Amino acid sequence: MAPWMASGLIYASGLALTAGSITLLYIVTRTFNFAVASMATFGFYIAYTGVALYGGTPYQFYPLVIIFGSILGLICYYGLNRHLLRREAAEITLMMSTLGYDLLLLSFIQMYADFLTHEYRLFPRRVTLNVYDFELFGERAAAIILPIIAVVVLTGLHMFLTKTKFGVAMRATIENPVLSGASGINPDRVYMVSWIIGGGMATLGGAFMAMAMTGTPTMGMFTIPLMFAGAILGGLTSIYGGILGGFMIGMTEYAGIFTLSQQLGPWVLGYRMGIPLMLMAATLLLFPRGLAGIPLMKILRSLGGSKRGES
Amino acid sequence: MLKVNNLSAGYGKLQVLYDLNIEAPAKGITVVVGPNGAGKTTLLASVMGIAKVHSGEIMFEDISITGDLTHNLAKKGISYVPQMGNVFAELSVMDNLNMAGYLMSRDEAKEKADQMTEIFPVLKKFIRRSAGTLSGGERRMLAIAMGLMKNPKLMLLDELSTDLAPIIAEKVMMEVARLRDDLGITILMVEQMAKRALEVGDTAYLLVSGEVRYSGKAGDLLNEPELCSMYLGIKADTDEIASVEKPTVEGSE
Repeated sequence: MAPWMASGLIYASGLALTAGSITLLYIVTRTFNFAVASMATFGFYIAYTGVALYGGTPYQFYPLVIIFGSILGLICYYGLNRHLLRREAAEITLMMSTLGYDLLLLSFIQMYADFLTHEYRLFPRRVTLNVYDFELFGERAAAIILPIIAVVVLTGLHMFLTKTKFGVAMRATIENPVLSGASGINPDRVYMVSWIIGGGMATLGGAFMAMAMTGTPTMGMFTIPLMFAGAILGGLTSIYGGILGGFMIGMTEYAGIFTLSQQLGPWVLGYRMGIPLMLMAATLLLFPRGLAGIPLMKILRSLGGSKRGES
Repeated sequence: MLKVNNLSAGYGKLQVLYDLNIEAPAKGITVVVGPNGAGKTTLLASVMGIAKVHSGEIMFEDISITGDLTHNLAKKGISYVPQMGNVFAELSVMDNLNMAGYLMSRDEAKEKADQMTEIFPVLKKFIRRSAGTLSGGERRMLAIAMGLMKNPKLMLLDELSTDLAPIIAEKVMMEVARLRDDLGITILMVEQMAKRALEVGDTAYLLVSGEVRYSGKAGDLLNEPELCSMYLGIKADTDEIASVEKPTVEGSE
């Protein structure tokens, strides 16, 4: 596997989870969660602390990463989002409240980085987490393991939303909160669970992305435009669309920058973010509702029809 | 069963209802009729904790439920079938029924869902289909079935006949009468198809601009030609109106 493809798969898997987290929280609570940036960064620091202090690989600390992310999500819900939702706050207010939470988390990240330096003599402000990775079938393990974990998370989420009573209740609340309330479903509980899942996905995504990029206290801030680009590309109406959008944005960035740097030279590396953003703009021009708005079945049917016509 | 005392309510600062007094006696059908914008839907939304109550009190079984959250009202036995968005369009018919039985155990919900598909056989045919693909009439049947799934003491029905072909609307009204006669459910029904609703109902209220203009027996409102023609669009054919008899559901007597 080409190095750019391995890095692309790792990075795109992380971006997919963060974009899925943004989409989930938006469709359930109408909240554009800007705190996803610092949640992702915290994901990286939890994995880093684990391997730096206790050894092993970053993968074994992922359960801890998810739990920590869920707690961050719960704090955001009970500390901010719940009160604002009850007061029927406007979307802009909900969004700005998460920006405030993000800045608070960023301060804690900076303090935590200093704490690691002073207490454990670690240097956590520029970390390449992939040095803790190993080889699997002659490839970087992360390039194989992380996409698999991302698919497992997506499958688990799908099973939860379609096969469990509470998961179906979540979908019902997303579609029609009034009717779900009248059915006895407590929307408060649905919002809380969406923050638990969304927080876990965001931190896990950050831990993934740090396997392909340099981990810094501000890595979430630098990548948040692409996390949102993935969610917007996905259409903001479907969790699956958000995850697919995030993955496409991540892969496009790596494939595009590799191709362009081969053709035009290394100076294009400074413009790497522009490539996926152009993809997002082009897709939205063609399909204003994003990937979720692409009439896939219609296209497949027409392709099937044209094939039959040809034969 | 349900008493609304001096209720003023609306959405945010917008007041829609003014000092309303309404009572829905147990095991009867109370019909609320009136022109568009009279506040009929807001009345039901206020009872269900969706609209904002500015002042007044809502009593259910002699206990105040003013300001209660919607899901808590469902637990108390109040079932609400909204006019619009009364099914989960993206879920299957089966999942819709399961969601309506959310507060029950899995076995109880399954048993109840089976009962519903017996009462409304059309639902059995489409049990795996998404509710969004059902016709208007089928959706209403599903909505009523979802309302009934909850073993309600009180059902709030909002404009059940909207968008339905007359023959289907007639069937729906017969089903409503059956709920009262066979299951003894108390019903508070808001309806645009005023004449038919008043024929089925026991008690009636005429709402105009958020205020009660008439309260009394449902059949008697049909004998008020001025109110009927001015607010309900029912022509003042008094002879015909006077001869209206309350219909009974086949087999209920």
